[in-house]
Amino acid sequence: MRNKLHKWILWGVVIIFVAIFPHVFGIYYTNFLVAFAIFSLYAVTLNLLLGYMGVLSFGHAMFFGTGAYATALALRHIQGFPLLPAVLVGGLAGGLLALILCPLLVRVSGTAFAMLTLAFGQLIFVVALKYREVTGGEDGIGGYPIPPLNIAGVVSIDMTDKINFYYFAMTVIMVCLLMLWFYTKTPFGSLVVAVRDNAMRIDYLGFKLPQTKAVNLIVCGAFAGIAGAVHALLMKLVSTVGVLDINTSFAPIMMAYIGGVGSFFGPIIGSGVLHILEDLVIRFTERIGLVNGAIFILVVLYAPMGLVGLFSAAKAKWFPKEKVS
Amino acid sequence: MNILETKGLYHDFSGLAVLFDVNLQVQEGERHAVIGPNGAGKTTLFNVITGTYRPSRGQVFFKGKEVTGARPNALTRLGMGRSFQITSTFNRLTAFQNIRLAVLSKRGIRFQMFRKVDGMGDITRETDEVLKRINLDRERDMPAGVLSYGKHRSLEISLALATDPDLVMLDEPTAGMSRDETHYAVELIRRLTEGKTVVIIEHDMDVVFSIADRITVLHYGQILATGPPGEIRQNQAVKDAYLGELEV
Repeated sequence: MRNKLHKWILWGVVIIFVAIFPHVFGIYYTNFLVAFAIFSLYAVTLNLLLGYMGVLSFGHAMFFGTGAYATALALRHIQGFPLLPAVLVGGLAGGLLALILCPLLVRVSGTAFAMLTLAFGQLIFVVALKYREVTGGEDGIGGYPIPPLNIAGVVSIDMTDKINFYYFAMTVIMVCLLMLWFYTKTPFGSLVVAVRDNAMRIDYLGFKLPQTKAVNLIVCGAFAGIAGAVHALLMKLVSTVGVLDINTSFAPIMMAYIGGVGSFFGPIIGSGVLHILEDLVIRFTERIGLVNGAIFILVVLYAPMGLVGLFSAAKAKWFPKEKVS
Repeated sequence: MNILETKGLYHDFSGLAVLFDVNLQVQEGERHAVIGPNGAGKTTLFNVITGTYRPSRGQVFFKGKEVTGARPNALTRLGMGRSFQITSTFNRLTAFQNIRLAVLSKRGIRFQMFRKVDGMGDITRETDEVLKRINLDRERDMPAGVLSYGKHRSLEISLALATDPDLVMLDEPTAGMSRDETHYAVELIRRLTEGKTVVIIEHDMDVVFSIADRITVLHYGQILATGPPGEIRQNQAVKDAYLGELEV
């Protein structure tokens, strides 16, 4: 009971913090927090594959990037395309890509899965780079309008205003994270975790293994696509190097490992750590990759369950649970 | 009526013949033991019947329907359960979560993602009942991987039984158990498989002769003899090949 109260207080604090943030920290850090939130959602979708289902996606940027491109293309080519559908189009595109690839992806696991996702990720990167007529090649797509948020003719909220956009983006991302958290708590979510532990036995318990893996892939692809869509709205520019390249694929892997692949919130913490770190390091040196890489190596060597793992180990050591006998 | 039947079953691993014209008949409601020396093909026979491999030749019939080469999940949904010689549970999940998966499958809950699983009271209740029946209620929230060997084996067997199958295929359920654990496991199997058809691979002859209604002896991938325990005990070919001059 007390535990539950603590949780509600914690969530209250988080929501108040998010609500007053732009009025306290200024516009630079407001955008900073949106970027952090986008990558948190993106890293959580990667972790639903890595930590929950037990497969490592090396090409996760393909879902993120496809979502971003779909949103940018829709806004650019369709006059007066509204805001919420623009976000949904990104999710739809990410999910559709996962649907197209899943007949191949569900048949493999382990190294083969990592290599296959890497190959598809690079393939889509190159297609976006070369298919200039549609994607604008290296220059990408920019200058598309950011539509206002219309609520059934009652109000129209201007989304070019940074603070309005901040509230919109944070709401979308928090709702998505809430949905994914709920998803992990459903019977299907428990099935996905069991696939990680023992895929063979899942088959013998009467569950269809390929279909189970496919549905989880599509869910992850769709939500990664939504993260990409919000990214496109934030940046007002979508280019291959920004959303489809290999660094975009590796970022959520680092976030998930640093935060902890064993927990739902681990990747969010990892995203926070990496964003804050980048903001600090960039003031002293441009070699941000060196610092990130060193931290990644340290985490893999000394804290394989990430910061969340360290935290729960410390908690278990200093505040041992009373033994119930 | 035969609940399970194989007709002219052959299986080979890249040229190495393991099963050779196996015609097995299992009657509904009986406890059928499959025995034979190491390498006789007992586990391969199980694998071919339960869908791990498609047989090289021959047919498998389950409840009068041909199921040759059907996927394990299809067979489970038709009412076949299987446990493994090498314990195969979900080791990072708790005992409770392990059994709950089987209960969900039995209820046909496979793609439900709009309700919390912890909020499904009837699922929780049934899972706890199963845990109590197999004497694992104290280990409810322990990861399967840290259970003692005997308890882990109990969990393995009950995973196969918790989907409520009509035919249970048990691959050496007492493998590696101590005398006491074996005794306990046999009682457990007896209790949990009441009214079900059981096919069991077993090396412990005491277990076999105390549990089985009929015995099939497999030798170099072929059926040497099938019959009730008394008959098998007297069979000269079986004595020569397997039982030897042991006091059985």
